[in-house]
Amino acid sequence: MTRTIRFILVAVVALLLPPGVGVAPGAESLNLFGWSEYIPQSVIDEFTEETDIEVNYEMYASNEEMLAKLFSGATKYDLIQPSEYVIEALVKEGKLEKLDKAQIPNLKNIAPEFRGLPHDPNLDYSVPYMSGTVGIVVNTDKVKEPVTGYRDVFQEKYKNRIVILDDPLEIVTWALHTEGLPPNAVTKENIEKVKPLIASWLPLVKVYDSDSPKTALLNGDVDLGIVWSGEAAILYNEDKKFTYTLPKEGAHRFIDNLAIPKGAPNKAGAHKFIDYVLRPEVSVKISKEFPYTNPNAEARKLLTPEERANPASYPPGDPKLDTFRDIGENAVLVDKVITDLKAQSGS
Amino acid sequence: MRQESTAFAHAAAGQQRPPGGTGWLLLAPLLCWVVAFVVAPAAIMLVYSFLRRGTLGGVVWEFTLDNYAAVADPTYFAIIVRSIVFAAITTLLCLGMGYPVAYLIGRASEERRNLLLMLVMVPFWTSFLIRTYAWVTILKSQGLLNSILLGLGAIGEPLELLYTRGAVILGLVYTFLPFMILPIYSSVEKLDGALIEAALDLGAGPLRAFARVIVPLTQPGIAAGVLLVFVPALGLYAVNDILGGGRVDMIGNVIENQFKGNARNWPFGAALGTAMLVAFGLTYWVVSRRQRAVEFGR
Repeated sequence: MTRTIRFILVAVVALLLPPGVGVAPGAESLNLFGWSEYIPQSVIDEFTEETDIEVNYEMYASNEEMLAKLFSGATKYDLIQPSEYVIEALVKEGKLEKLDKAQIPNLKNIAPEFRGLPHDPNLDYSVPYMSGTVGIVVNTDKVKEPVTGYRDVFQEKYKNRIVILDDPLEIVTWALHTEGLPPNAVTKENIEKVKPLIASWLPLVKVYDSDSPKTALLNGDVDLGIVWSGEAAILYNEDKKFTYTLPKEGAHRFIDNLAIPKGAPNKAGAHKFIDYVLRPEVSVKISKEFPYTNPNAEARKLLTPEERANPASYPPGDPKLDTFRDIGENAVLVDKVITDLKAQSGS
Repeated sequence: MRQESTAFAHAAAGQQRPPGGTGWLLLAPLLCWVVAFVVAPAAIMLVYSFLRRGTLGGVVWEFTLDNYAAVADPTYFAIIVRSIVFAAITTLLCLGMGYPVAYLIGRASEERRNLLLMLVMVPFWTSFLIRTYAWVTILKSQGLLNSILLGLGAIGEPLELLYTRGAVILGLVYTFLPFMILPIYSSVEKLDGALIEAALDLGAGPLRAFARVIVPLTQPGIAAGVLLVFVPALGLYAVNDILGGGRVDMIGNVIENQFKGNARNWPFGAALGTAMLVAFGLTYWVVSRRQRAVEFGR
């Protein structure tokens, strides 16, 4: 009986402890908190093999989820992977460690187009990990007319054939682009200005999905949509009938970065990991598994011509792209306007 | 005979006696569990609902009633009403389908009963999300159901089944049906067959016997089933996202967005959660009062 109780107690304690606590004392460990499906396990294993640093990889599905866990303080993370607008907010609040660039010689591999951006102009606090865009996917078997912008997607004839991201800020930004307003001027006045346009869009949408918008397209339940480029790249690899176009009015470029939260216990290890993934031969491995836009110029050279031809990973031409900025309190208004309009279009 | 009745009286009195030292010791794990996982989170939620939004999520310790003012907004009211309607339809369908099943299982022979009960529980061996995604492959336009119907020549064009309200209700009923069957079954199992025979002997038709004898006697099971289905159906939003395409928000979606979406508005999410908790409390209070009234009225 006591043995059973002891077993149960041990089991409960083991389950409650954060992963990594069981690691032998003395072994160096690194607590990495990153997006799910973004860092190949092989890359982590090879890093451990080379450096003897044990990596505890925890995953999250949204920036906000990451922030909630980061500030709960339950685990001291050494590396996080926030998107550009979250980097800006974190820097503003003094929540990130300044990077020691002497420990990251491979930083030179980052392409010039990923430097000098407003969220962290000199890459003092963050290093671009992977990047992507939000654009239009079309099943060309079903949609024969050219679709080049937001207005082309939201047409009456495509009613109930459209999938879009379930992301209020994205939707508002598309409307700002369409009305010719600056995409980061997410103010009360501008939200009011684009409200009628969004109200005309939402009743046409069949599926809202941020997690896997490719599913509805692959299943044939919808014929076009506005989705993450990574999803579009996978669709394109699956079947070339899926084309990817960046809206001519302008599109969102998101950049996910590696950064070290303030007070991280293993800053040296975090720097080592950043420098490791910036090696071209490592970075290209990530690209092969997750076909986003690689900001690492040297790694891109190692891709096959076919991989570089994937229009969703490396859009041709000179598209108009903007990163997101931190919009502070106005995020509440964005959430409210989409909730309101969805409620109207649904009832 | 006399001895028996005193023993019974003792046992009955024992139930009324407040628990002694050992009793509290035995209760301690449950009490700890309730405090840690029910009372404490609810208290945190209540406190947060009166605070201001923090820039990076979290809260700023400044008292405000703004969050409750925002809850009263007509949009959220409409969303709450819609969630209640969906949960109510789900509960009624579960009751209508679950009661006959529970009754048949409860009246079946012992060995068949165990087999049937196991069949009710088999779906729980697979993750709820996987079972819900399985419905996607059944309902999609080139899915199983449409292919069968097309193959049989019953329809000329694939039906639009997925990403509809019907699909959401189907998913909810599918998820919660066992929660209706099991408590009703346990009531039916205890049902005394002699009482039904007596009702029939005294001239009640089968319908009347059902309505006046069987239903009142299985009422505890029905009440438990209704609560077990209605309350979680109100909060479950995953089915709405997966089978409904997220076209309309349920109250669960709105609350989730306050924590995991761009808004990062924890206090407002907490206020919505508190409002729902109060609504649940009221429902439970009304149901249990009615039940007590029924018991004493007899």
